[in-house]
Amino acid sequence: MIYFDNSATTQTLPDAARRACRYMTEEFFNPSAAYAAAFSVEKSVNEARAFAASLIGADANEIVYTSGGTESNNAAIFGTVKNCRGKIQIVTTEIEHPSVFETAAAAAKLFNAELTYAPLNPDGTVNIDRLSEVLSQDTAFVSIMHVNNEIGSVNDLDRISAKIRALSPNAVFHSDGVQAFMKVRAKKLPVDLYSVSAHKLHAPKGVGFLYVRNGIRFSGGQIGGGQERNLRSGTTNVPGILGFDTALRAYHANETAWHAQMFRVKSRLYRNLSGLPDVLLNGPSIETGAPHILNLSFLGVRGEVLMHALERYGVLVSTGSACSSKKVGKNRILNALGITGARQEGAIRFSFCPFNTEQEADIASGIIEEQVKLLRRYKRR
Amino acid sequence: MEKVILVRYAEIHLKGLNRPFFERLLVDRIKQALNPVHASVEREQGRIFVYGIPEENIPECTDRLCRVFGIHSISVACCVEKTWDAVRAAAISEVEPFANRVDAPTFKCFARRSDKRFSMTSEQICRELGHEILEAYPNLKVDVHHPELPVTVEIRQNNAFVYTGEVLGAGGMPVGSNGKAMLLISGGIDSPVAGYMIAKRGVMLDAVHFYSYPYTSERARDKVVELTKLVSRYAGRINLYLVPFTDIQMTIYDKCPSTETTVLMRRLMMKIAERIAKETGSLALITGESIGQVASQTIESLCVTDDAVSMPVFRPLIGFDKEEIIDKAQKIGTFETSILPYEDCCTVFVPKHPVTKPKVEKLRESEALVDFEPLIAKAVSETERMNIG
Repeated sequence: MIYFDNSATTQTLPDAARRACRYMTEEFFNPSAAYAAAFSVEKSVNEARAFAASLIGADANEIVYTSGGTESNNAAIFGTVKNCRGKIQIVTTEIEHPSVFETAAAAAKLFNAELTYAPLNPDGTVNIDRLSEVLSQDTAFVSIMHVNNEIGSVNDLDRISAKIRALSPNAVFHSDGVQAFMKVRAKKLPVDLYSVSAHKLHAPKGVGFLYVRNGIRFSGGQIGGGQERNLRSGTTNVPGILGFDTALRAYHANETAWHAQMFRVKSRLYRNLSGLPDVLLNGPSIETGAPHILNLSFLGVRGEVLMHALERYGVLVSTGSACSSKKVGKNRILNALGITGARQEGAIRFSFCPFNTEQEADIASGIIEEQVKLLRRYKRR
Repeated sequence: MEKVILVRYAEIHLKGLNRPFFERLLVDRIKQALNPVHASVEREQGRIFVYGIPEENIPECTDRLCRVFGIHSISVACCVEKTWDAVRAAAISEVEPFANRVDAPTFKCFARRSDKRFSMTSEQICRELGHEILEAYPNLKVDVHHPELPVTVEIRQNNAFVYTGEVLGAGGMPVGSNGKAMLLISGGIDSPVAGYMIAKRGVMLDAVHFYSYPYTSERARDKVVELTKLVSRYAGRINLYLVPFTDIQMTIYDKCPSTETTVLMRRLMMKIAERIAKETGSLALITGESIGQVASQTIESLCVTDDAVSMPVFRPLIGFDKEEIIDKAQKIGTFETSILPYEDCCTVFVPKHPVTKPKVEKLRESEALVDFEPLIAKAVSETERMNIG
């Protein structure tokens, strides 16, 4: 099997799985309990928290563990917007993940806020020069993703943040970092809220965190036992958090090498496939995009059909949209970038992890070339 | 007081000498439908009674019975001894929950005596019972023209039954009373509805589905299995035949005129369906087509597809608008599954400009460009059968 769908999820590292298992079967105690065994678990969780915080230049108490990216995004949006008074404006983009896009729309409706979408460049990054068109004194909340999950465009959060601070001093700035964390360099994040998911980084599913900068008005999500500084109640997901910790430490130790490896595989696959007729790159250039996401359109082929054809030969990829549909023009992200018609229909996302190899890229390209050629014979004519 | 469910027949009561056959079949279907709840089913003079249902299972049984074809309506009744005291007590307790409501309904008593030996006439029963109910609940009012709450007493051979309402059943004829037919099921909205409608006339169903491995997904296949299950809640057990269709599709695309691919594909599907139908005892084919819905369903295209087979093709949705079909799909509970977005074999390879007025002669010629027989035989031999329901 050649697995090129690592933006959907990744294989858990054996060490991470073992550590999670240990905290289920041996040190299974609830860290909120009073005895020493539980305290020891609590200490491990706090060490993990401090380590995660150090990776983005944050304090340990700024990390709120959640069940993952969607919860982090929901909490970020609702936990901020519900505290706003008066005229509220929310700014986001049309190419956010549904857990931001739909949530921002729901929050705007619920709290009677104005919802505005920031202008984009053709490569899927936010057009920073034109941000002034949407930012105002009333802007209360801005959510702009760090790396786009379908095309891999990387936003310059520093410049965006500077622009927001200048034009909308009262705004809280959130960024969805699910596809970016550990994959694009960010020593110190210039944001107020940042969402992270563990399972995109070879850790178990069902865990993630929300970075909440000290000093912002944020009232969290779940109410209950008061865990996570009362910002997210619920029994601490110890196996998830510590499995995540192990994966993060591995990622951190190998960061440069792993980035380089993903970039090599991506470049190789692109080099192999870009020579075929009617193959177009969607989103940013190979150099400026995230190292692990490549989105290509194979004109004259339907993405879903090609995907299943590749599946037969053990190559797992995904179509441009997570929620594919028979209806052409349903891919919101490609639509927003003006990628429509046959180019949208034929879009495939390849996403890599550090364990993919250039050899896999070569084998996959061979299979893709063959299948594309075959399927093009049966294109609509 | 035991709660029983009283079942009224739909069309069966119009039957003559063979009526017992239909009645027995309906009893069988009811028994099958209620199999998981262990109830006993008895037939008695134009009615069927379901006894021995634990009270908490009554809503589930009601739901299940409403999916059995051949039932006109059902009532949950109190079964009591054939004495005036027992009938009176049952009626008063049946009415109680309504009497305590703020907007207490108007009522009227109805009586039916199939056992004429009972000491009171129907008219007397109604009059006396109305009086007793008014005594017990003075806030209720009688309305003999438009009662909101009909209170009915049936005096039958062995027992008396008292009930206050009636739920409409699915109608039609018991499945199995009218042979078997083969449904072409695609995964869309129409075909499950078409299957439902033919099964409603007492026809047992088998189903055939064409898939284009590897270009259609496991999920698309699973969706068809799920839809067949939903239809089988009404139609009973269904054999689902899954036919691999990719080779035939690719051959059509390679060898035949591109504008005719869709119609040719449909002709070949019909042929394969007919072949399986003949081998497995189905007497007709069923499709979800409706005139003019898409290019392959123009009247010309329908003639061309009909020409491919000798079996009768039933198209129960032929005069339905899409909206009417959707409405029906929602009522029978297949809509939500039908709209799951997966490619199916019809959408994988489709021409941009399909012919809308194909001619039978022309299509026969195009089909003759290829010897499809070996491909059909191969598809049939690789067909997989699943037993559903």
